Amino acid sequence: MASKFWTQAGASDSDEEEEQSEYEDEIEDAGGDPSAADAKNRYLRATDTDSDDDDGQKRVVKSAKDKRFDEMTSTLEQIKNAMKINDWVSLLESFDKINKQLEKVMRVTEAVKVPNLYIKSLVMLEDFLNQAMANKEAKKKMSTSNAKALNSMKQKLKKNNKQYEELINKYREKPESEEEADDDEDEDADDDESDTFAEDVNAMSDEDEEEDDGKDDDQAEGEGGWEKMMSKKEKLMDKQFMKDPSEISWDVVNKKFKEVVAARGRKGTGRFEQVEQLTFLTKVAKTPAQKLEILFSVVSAQFDVNPGLNGHMPINVWKKCVVNMLVILDIVFQHRNIVVDDMVEPEENETQKGADHEGPVRVWGNLVAFLERIDVEFFKSLQSTDPHTREYVDRLQDEPMFLVLAQNVQEYLERGGDYKAAAKVALRRVELVYYKPQEVYDAMRKLSEQTEGGDNGDDKAEESRGPPAFVVVPEVVARKPTFPESSRTMMDMLVSLIYKHGDDRTKARAMLCDIYHHALLDEFSIARDLLLMSHLQDNIQHLDISTQILFNRAMAQLGLCAFRVGLITEGHGCLSELYSGGRVKELLAQGVSQSRYHEKTPEQERLERRRQMPYHMHINLELLEAVHLICAMLLEVPNMAANTHDSRRRLISKTFRRLLDISERQTFTGPPENVRDHVMAATRALTKGDFTKSFEVIQSLDIWRLLKNKEGVLEMLKSKIKEEALRTYLLTYSLSYNSMSLEQLMNMFDLSRAQTHSVVSKMMINEELYASWDQPTECVVFNDVEYSRLQGLAFQLTEKLSVLAESNERAMESGGGGGMDLPMRRREGQDYANAGGGGGKWQDNYNQQGGRQGGGGGRSGGYGGGGRSGQGGGRGGYNRGSQVRGGGSRYQDSSAYGGARRTASSAVRGSQMDGSTRMVSLNRGGHP
Amino acid sequence: MATYDLTPRIAPNLDRHLVFPLLEFLQEQQMYPDEEILKAKIELLNKTNMVDYAMDIHKSLYRTEDVPQDMIERRVEVVARLKSLEESAAPLVAFLQNPSAVQELRADKQYNLQMLNDRYQIGPDQIEALYQYAKFQFECGNYSGAADYLYQYRALCTNSERSLSALWGKLAAEVLMQNWVVAVEELNRLKEIIDSKSFSSPLNQVQSRIWLMHWSLFIFFNHDNDKTQIIDLFNQDKYLNAIQTSAPHLLRYLATAFIINKRRRSQFKDFIRVIQQEQHSYKDPITEFLACVFVNYDFDGAQKKMKECEEVEDGNGSTMPLRDEFLKNARLFILETYCRIHQRIDMGVLAGKLNMDYEDAERWIVKRIRNSELDAKIDTETGTVIMEPNHPNVYEQLIEHTKSLSGRTYKLASQLMEQSPAQAAR
Repeated sequence: MASKFWTQAGASDSDEEEEQSEYEDEIEDAGGDPSAADAKNRYLRATDTDSDDDDGQKRVVKSAKDKRFDEMTSTLEQIKNAMKINDWVSLLESFDKINKQLEKVMRVTEAVKVPNLYIKSLVMLEDFLNQAMANKEAKKKMSTSNAKALNSMKQKLKKNNKQYEELINKYREKPESEEEADDDEDEDADDDESDTFAEDVNAMSDEDEEEDDGKDDDQAEGEGGWEKMMSKKEKLMDKQFMKDPSEISWDVVNKKFKEVVAARGRKGTGRFEQVEQLTFLTKVAKTPAQKLEILFSVVSAQFDVNPGLNGHMPINVWKKCVVNMLVILDIVFQHRNIVVDDMVEPEENETQKGADHEGPVRVWGNLVAFLERIDVEFFKSLQSTDPHTREYVDRLQDEPMFLVLAQNVQEYLERGGDYKAAAKVALRRVELVYYKPQEVYDAMRKLSEQTEGGDNGDDKAEESRGPPAFVVVPEVVARKPTFPESSRTMMDMLVSLIYKHGDDRTKARAMLCDIYHHALLDEFSIARDLLLMSHLQDNIQHLDISTQILFNRAMAQLGLCAFRVGLITEGHGCLSELYSGGRVKELLAQGVSQSRYHEKTPEQERLERRRQMPYHMHINLELLEAVHLICAMLLEVPNMAANTHDSRRRLISKTFRRLLDISERQTFTGPPENVRDHVMAATRALTKGDFTKSFEVIQSLDIWRLLKNKEGVLEMLKSKIKEEALRTYLLTYSLSYNSMSLEQLMNMFDLSRAQTHSVVSKMMINEELYASWDQPTECVVFNDVEYSRLQGLAFQLTEKLSVLAESNERAMESGGGGGMDLPMRRREGQDYANAGGGGGKWQDNYNQQGGRQGGGGGRSGGYGGGGRSGQGGGRGGYNRGSQVRGGGSRYQDSSAYGGARRTASSAVRGSQMDGSTRMVSLNRGGHP
Repeated sequence: MATYDLTPRIAPNLDRHLVFPLLEFLQEQQMYPDEEILKAKIELLNKTNMVDYAMDIHKSLYRTEDVPQDMIERRVEVVARLKSLEESAAPLVAFLQNPSAVQELRADKQYNLQMLNDRYQIGPDQIEALYQYAKFQFECGNYSGAADYLYQYRALCTNSERSLSALWGKLAAEVLMQNWVVAVEELNRLKEIIDSKSFSSPLNQVQSRIWLMHWSLFIFFNHDNDKTQIIDLFNQDKYLNAIQTSAPHLLRYLATAFIINKRRRSQFKDFIRVIQQEQHSYKDPITEFLACVFVNYDFDGAQKKMKECEEVEDGNGSTMPLRDEFLKNARLFILETYCRIHQRIDMGVLAGKLNMDYEDAERWIVKRIRNSELDAKIDTETGTVIMEPNHPNVYEQLIEHTKSLSGRTYKLASQLMEQSPAQAAR
């Protein structure tokens, strides 16, 4: 459009030299201004090819010249349209019209030369005509009127073109230079030199608006425009070469920069263009500070390229953005006096201070925010890429690029003493590393060493195309990330920084990553201690959703880790929560699970999709499910055997029991297909004490190949299965035997003597099994403890009484508010008992109470009680069924996973209890 | 033997001066070469002001009469500093040594300060000097002097931070002078402060607790009747937490205390769990012994561990005096658990398990049975011990269960009563 108002001026080709001298004049007149104008023109021109075609309907006030000119343009448009539909009739009309208009234009402008636009249309028509004539078949198909028009057109054009033959040939030779000449003429025509700039600015904004129209109309057109502009830009750079660099001063660049920035976000500002414009400005920036300032704007403009929250930044832009950030770092590392700050608005001419300026130079900018944004974009791009494609892998390989950037930013911040921000950056790094096992980490390290060389080469090539920048920035900061040998050292280094300086959220996230990573490396106890010490379980539901997801992931990994190291109860404790709601996918953000009862609004769905983990970070769900179910099986099968008579009483894993019920209800059981079937088949075998079959079924699962030390884990699993089979067997059949030899048991379950002895002894001590050893013969002798009906009822009565007392106490507690000096531990025990399913827990309570309050009292006999009294003499069974897995086992699962840290134990226990509320509910919190 | 030595792990949590007794003990035990210990001693002394002592050690270590120049210089320096401190603290010291003047002090701290300021011209500066002087005395090894001054300083000091460190100093001095009774008092005072004081950071608090526990080892294992106190202290939730997080080696001492005090059964079960949890971070024969007996029921293993425990106890300065008691109780532990799960045991095997010969074992068991500590009979014909079957009476059980109920109801009722007048008043 700008060109529109320039081209009207004259139709003749003015020579370049004159134009050049014009420039020089200007320079003399207005100091630094011309170069700015020059720059501007360049941009203007960059768009004129496509903007020429749209017309400036928006312009309200138009000069006569303009009007004429606009008419001509619209006619040209009509011609184009007609050409598209092969409509020769209207083409002929338009041709006549444009000829008439030409006369008018010539009259108004008093020019000798024919406007360029006209020539263009002629050339276009001619080409089209030749094409149409060549296509005989199409010609035949034409309607009569159309064919007629074509013929007459052919003759008219021939006649007409003869007049302008010279110009046409010239145009054909170099259409571009023609246009350039046009531009030059503008300046020529503008008599008033000083006005040029004001008008330029107007033109600029006009251009913006129209550009916007174009964009709105047709996105593709915009894209095309961008490409063209690129080529233009290069050409312009050539031009820049010819100019003396010294002509460009700080003021010029600054002014231009302000202009471009002011256009940001305005309707119609081409996002890509702005990036280009700014990138160019960085090359001509005069001082490092200015360059820095402009670079910051480039980066922000690059962020702007991607509209909306859902899409991600184009990958090439992302890469350029990273490179820009690195250059920024180069500058700030090299010029130590430059302070990057986003708190205060720097002075107007702050960036004028040169490289040799003493004292601090303030530049607005926030490196951390930029870095975080880059990370987010990276994450988003991975989210939206199909993980099974090459693209995804390629994208993943950009990770070291980000890591090096983060590393440098962190270094910079640490040097500046801004540890708080450094902690934030460190967290970003942690979040890229924490889920990587050592092998993956090594692979990344190697990759980063290899690829960096190639990348650098690319960058250089790109650089060399442009003119040499005024402020040459040597690569000060490392372009290669430095990784410590093991991922653990890296994690330790980063998290210790975060723990020291980070804010609460950063610390919590880092802690979770740390836990995850420890769990990944099979360091269960460390991970568990970290979890319990950090008290994250208590307040995780107050944190944001993505942290909650991270928490769930850490818990899942912790569960897997516990399983790998053979801690079945702990593993089950960690995983059961995740599986209690059947929404494990959602909880881990690894896919959307459909809920039957709860329709999600589109808004919720979108939010959920945004939270999804990229594929490479996923925890294998099959493995997770297998581990969960196997843990549940190992705990539940003996439990079921112990409580055959009142199965409703104690459930260790509700999920598992439900699945088992379902599979038992089936009339036919086919061979196992999925993970669940396998575990169910194994369970059936284990209930019968058939440990070999049980193990074989589980072994046949192919998920085990995902484990690092598959053999070790399977070996562990086998021995666990054997032990549980032994326990199940004893619990189920002890009633039928009077005694059983150790030898026999050993052979039956293929266990060592010590192991068998230990397992049986444990059961005796825990009073799951009413038996004792006969040492000389090495036999287990079973004692029969049977109660009469009346006695059984009496026990039930006492049980109910204690429940009553308990509920009274609780009512008192909640109603009266405080004041209860009941021991904390006991209260927990009660809660637990309650959550566990109502009654039946009195024994435990009794134990707790005895343990806490009674101290040694009542069993001062200790030893005298026949050895048994030591562990709670009164606890003799009243009913074998419910007694067998008494306090002991509950102790195990409530405390083994958590009991250690007493202060934290309640939290853990609590979280085991009401998993549904503790576990993060994504939907409920869906509107952050 | 040296493998189970905890000195390197304990020492960092002690005051320099407190490490000396440990090193002395190690020297006696000949666990490490003499030279190493002497070097360690010099190392220790370098930071203290006991330069003369350091010189002596240096002489005996290198068997020379020459003393390094820096030691001599340091000695001069120390003496000079002592002089200057003495001077600045002189007015207050003089005042404190005058019994009639001391009589004038009252319980009111503010009044005392005022009075000192008005009548003796003793201001905060002098009081501060007293602290420095006391500290210097301590550094020089004059513990009794330091203890006295610190005591008086605490009476006058207003700065709580200073007061706390003075208390630590006092405790160290008392421990080094082996005034166990006073030391226990100081210990409790310190514990109160640590527990009540809102520390700047929880980390700090944990660290203080750990120090306190380490220092208390000296007291508890040397002072009579205090083996239960160590359980009281260590087994508190906060302290147990501190042990688990930062100083798992202290579990050994707690385990020892538990084995010796069999009265503490109720807490013992919890403690076993702790040991189980901490197996990954710390184990030594004593905790392993407990794990064998109470977790794995591996009696052969337990027996082995017991032998190892013996060695450990020999090499452990603070628990050494309790060795016999420890072994006796450990034996009892094994027997008790063993008997619980057996109905018939061969005497020979039992004797083996108890690390006794047959005769002794029989005598020992008979004694237990006579004291009705063991419900069993000996069958000499087959050479076995037969446990009396122990099935708790159903009625007893019922009574047990309901007994607690009435207590709880009473409590509930009384609380209700307490609360209702309060509410009525409102």
